[in-house]
Amino acid sequence: MTSPMSVPGSVGAHGLSRVELSLPADPQMLFLARMAAAAVATRAELSYEQVEDLRLAIDELCVALLDSRSGAGQIALLFQWDAEGTLDVVGTLVPDGDPSPSTNGKAPERTGPPLSYELSQRILDALVDDHGADAIGGVHRAWLRMRRQELSV
Amino acid sequence: MTPEAPFEVAESEQRGVPVLGVRGEIDVATSPELGDLLTGLITAGTELVIVDLTEVTFIDSTGLGVLVGAVGDMRARGGDLRLVVTQPQIIKLLELTGLDEVFTVMSDASDAVRS
Repeated sequence: MTSPMSVPGSVGAHGLSRVELSLPADPQMLFLARMAAAAVATRAELSYEQVEDLRLAIDELCVALLDSRSGAGQIALLFQWDAEGTLDVVGTLVPDGDPSPSTNGKAPERTGPPLSYELSQRILDALVDDHGADAIGGVHRAWLRMRRQELSV
Repeated sequence: MTPEAPFEVAESEQRGVPVLGVRGEIDVATSPELGDLLTGLITAGTELVIVDLTEVTFIDSTGLGVLVGAVGDMRARGGDLRLVVTQPQIIKLLELTGLDEVFTVMSDASDAVRS
């Protein structure tokens, strides 16, 4: 886990493309996040391999948010990318009721199996340039950054 | 865009060895079903299980976690679980997580049964 990067929205709007997606915080719905990730990655002109990498990374980001939920809610995904090929994604767990108690900005504890969590971290470390998670005011958030890899000729 | 493939597990046998032919996407929604099938085989005393992932289009950490848990349980009982993988994306995932060193990975179910 790395330190938090700039959150999209705090970045200047010039030249940025932006897509927002909200879906139920339900395991059955994660395929929608993967489909959106593939579409965005294609629009951001990532390579085929990076499209697949982003699909998996977004899935792992959403799994982290699902593990931190204590009830029904929504996962809000914000994709933002620029012409230089930097793609930022922030996922926020939006509970239907009152948010869970604050963890004072620390990364939230996942309730899923420790082995899966360790594997998820290894996957994200390998696939994206930066990633992290936190919880402020009881709102759980996870983010990642991926830069377009230029194809060598 | 990759269309979502329906998750299915076909159970068969080769030379008396159970083969689970998995199809579709193994994620947080579908991995519990695969885990239940593997737990059933393990508790039934099965010595060798082949999990054929050649028709799997996606697998995440929850799916990998189920497979790692199952191979650990099998080996603790003196058995084994072998994978059949041909998809480059899944081979890459096994390599980057170091799980290619944990599993016996074959490209053909018949070979996995015989080896």
